[in-house]
Amino acid sequence: MNTSKAGSAVIVVKNIRRSFRSTVKKEGLKGALGLLFKPQFQEHEALKGVSFSLEQGSFNGLIGANGAGKTTLLKILSGLIPPSAGEARVLGHDPFKRALDFRRQIALVMGQKAQLWWDLPAMDAFDLLKAIYEIPTPLYQERLNTLAELLDVKRHLQTQIRRLSLGERMKMELIGAILHWPSVIFLDEPTIGLDVFAAHKLREFLKVFNHKEKATIILTSHNMDDIEKLCTRVLILRSGELIYDGRPQGLTEEGERRLRVRFMERTEPAQISKISGLPISSIEQSAESSEEDEKTESETPAYLIQLKQDQIVNVLQSLMQSLHIVDMGIEQQSLERVIQRIYSEEKELGTSPQAEHL
Amino acid sequence: MKFEWRLAALKNGFQDATAYQIEFLFEILGSAFVPAAIQWVLWYALFQTGGATEIGGMGYQDMVFYTMVSLLFSQIRGGDHDFELGELIRNGQLSNYLLRPVSVVEFIYIRGVAPRLFIALLCLSIGVFLGFLFDFSVLRMFGAMLLALIGNIIHYQIGASLATAAFYWEEAYSIFMVKNMLVSFLSGELIPLNLFPEKMQWIWKCTPFYLYVYGPTQYALGRWTHEEYLFQLGVAALWLFGAWAMIKLSWGVGMKRYLSLGG
Repeated sequence: MNTSKAGSAVIVVKNIRRSFRSTVKKEGLKGALGLLFKPQFQEHEALKGVSFSLEQGSFNGLIGANGAGKTTLLKILSGLIPPSAGEARVLGHDPFKRALDFRRQIALVMGQKAQLWWDLPAMDAFDLLKAIYEIPTPLYQERLNTLAELLDVKRHLQTQIRRLSLGERMKMELIGAILHWPSVIFLDEPTIGLDVFAAHKLREFLKVFNHKEKATIILTSHNMDDIEKLCTRVLILRSGELIYDGRPQGLTEEGERRLRVRFMERTEPAQISKISGLPISSIEQSAESSEEDEKTESETPAYLIQLKQDQIVNVLQSLMQSLHIVDMGIEQQSLERVIQRIYSEEKELGTSPQAEHL
Repeated sequence: MKFEWRLAALKNGFQDATAYQIEFLFEILGSAFVPAAIQWVLWYALFQTGGATEIGGMGYQDMVFYTMVSLLFSQIRGGDHDFELGELIRNGQLSNYLLRPVSVVEFIYIRGVAPRLFIALLCLSIGVFLGFLFDFSVLRMFGAMLLALIGNIIHYQIGASLATAAFYWEEAYSIFMVKNMLVSFLSGELIPLNLFPEKMQWIWKCTPFYLYVYGPTQYALGRWTHEEYLFQLGVAALWLFGAWAMIKLSWGVGMKRYLSLGG
C-alpha cells in the first residue's frame, strides 16, 4: 500500500555519516593477550556525508566497490542501524525508530543472508508472514500465486528451504520479502550466485513489480546487467562518498570512448602511444584481432584505444599523419568498464579491511 | 493485542522444532531421564545402601516422588531461545526479525516456546495419571503446571536481557552457560532446595529460579498450602514485571550498538 503521492520524494538522506569502531588484533599469542588486557580500537568511517533524495516509483542502482558503504547505507535506510550523524527519512519516518507502520511498508532482501527458516518449507514461512502482515487470505493467495508463477517456483513451495538450489532459495526469499507489497524495497545483491536464466527471471519480475506497483526500489549489485536493465538512476559510492547521482547512460555518454583502429603497417602499442601522446596502458590489442592474427598472419592487428571524447579528433589527426589507417570505429564505453575504472580508483584511494565486512 | 501472528508463530515454531522427529523425541527423553537417573542412584545410595532414614525432613519415598514429579516441570523451563537471541545479535541475523512489524524478543519467545507447550501438555497428562495412581490432587497438578509455565517466561526474559551482552561483547555464550548451570542447581532440578542448610536458604529464595521446578513440585506434592502457592504466584508476577522492565531497558540501550554484521 503506497501512502506517498506519485513523484514525491519517499527517501530523503541529508549528510549521513556512519563510523564503526573495531578492535585491532595483532597476530600471534602476544596479539591475543594484548586484546584481552589492553584492547586497541580503530575507527572507520563507512559513510562520509551522503545526501540524496529518491522519488516514489523510481528504480535506483546503488553501486560501488566492496567496502564503499552501500550495505551500510541500506542498513541505515531500513532502520537496522542508526547513522552517526545526519538525517534519513523513509516514507516520512525516521528509520531507526522502526515504527510499526514503517516496518509494514519496507522490505530488505540481502542476497547473502537467508531470512526464511532453513528447516521449513517456504509455504510455512509464507503462512507466518501472512499473519504478521495481516494480509487477507484471498489477497495472500492471489499474490502468492502470481509471485510463484512469475518466478517459476510453484512446485517447490512445499520443499524444505535447505533442500532448494541457491536460485530457488533466492526466489523464495524475494517472495517472502514482498508478500506484503512494500512501498520501498532495498535489494542487496539479489542476483548473487544465480544462473543467467534465474537472474533474468528475477530482473523481469522486479521490472514488472516496480512498474505496476510503483514501489521505490534501491538495488545494489556488482552485476552491471542488473543496473543497466533495471535502473533509471544510479548512485555511485566511493569510499563512503557519493560521487555520481544520475542516469546510468550519463556515465557512458559523458565518459570515455573506445577507438578501434587498424593500420596498414604493423605497429606496436609503444609507437601508437608515442604518436598519440596517450599512455601505453590505454592501448591494447583487440582480442578478436589476436585470434584472427593466428589465422591470417598477413593481416595487421586492430588496437583498442581508451580516450576521452574531446581527444578523439586530435588523436586521429596525429595517427593519420604518421600511419595509414585501414579500418576504424568509435565505440561507446560499456557501463561495466566505467564502473571497473571507478572501482580501481577506489583501490588506489585505499579501503580499510574493516570496511570489507560491513 | 493481536493474536493472529502469535498463533501463527506458535504453529511455525512447533513445525520447526519437530522438523526432525527423532531428534525432537530424543531431546525430550534424553534431557529428562539422565538427570532423573542420577538422582535416583544418589537417593538409593544414601538411603538404601548408606542407611540414612531422613535427609532435610525427607525420607526415601519423598525423594523418589520429588524426583519423579520434578521431572515433569524441569522439562518446561528449558529451551534455548535465549541462546538463539545472543547468536542472532552476534551474526547479524537479528536484522531479519527487526524488519518485521513485531517485537523481536516476543517473536523469538513464541516460536521457541511452542515445543515446550507441547511438552507441558504431555507432562500434565502424565502428572494427572500419576495423580490418580498416587493420590495427588489433579487441581494442584494444573496449578503447578501454570507456575512452571510462568517460570518458563521468566527464564526466557532473564535470558533475553543477558543476550544483550552480545551487543557489547559480541559473543555471550558463556553467560548463558553460567546462567543455566545456576538455574540447574537453584531451580531444584538436581536436588530439593529444602536440603540447603537453613542459613543458606536465602540463596535460592532471592532468585526466581525456584519457581521453575522446586515450587511447582512442592505444590503438586501438597507440600505448599494454597495460600503459599498464591503468594508465590504474586512473587512470580513481580519477577515477570521486573524482567520485562529489564528487557525494555537492556534492548533499548543495546540496539544502539547493533552492527548488523554479515551482509
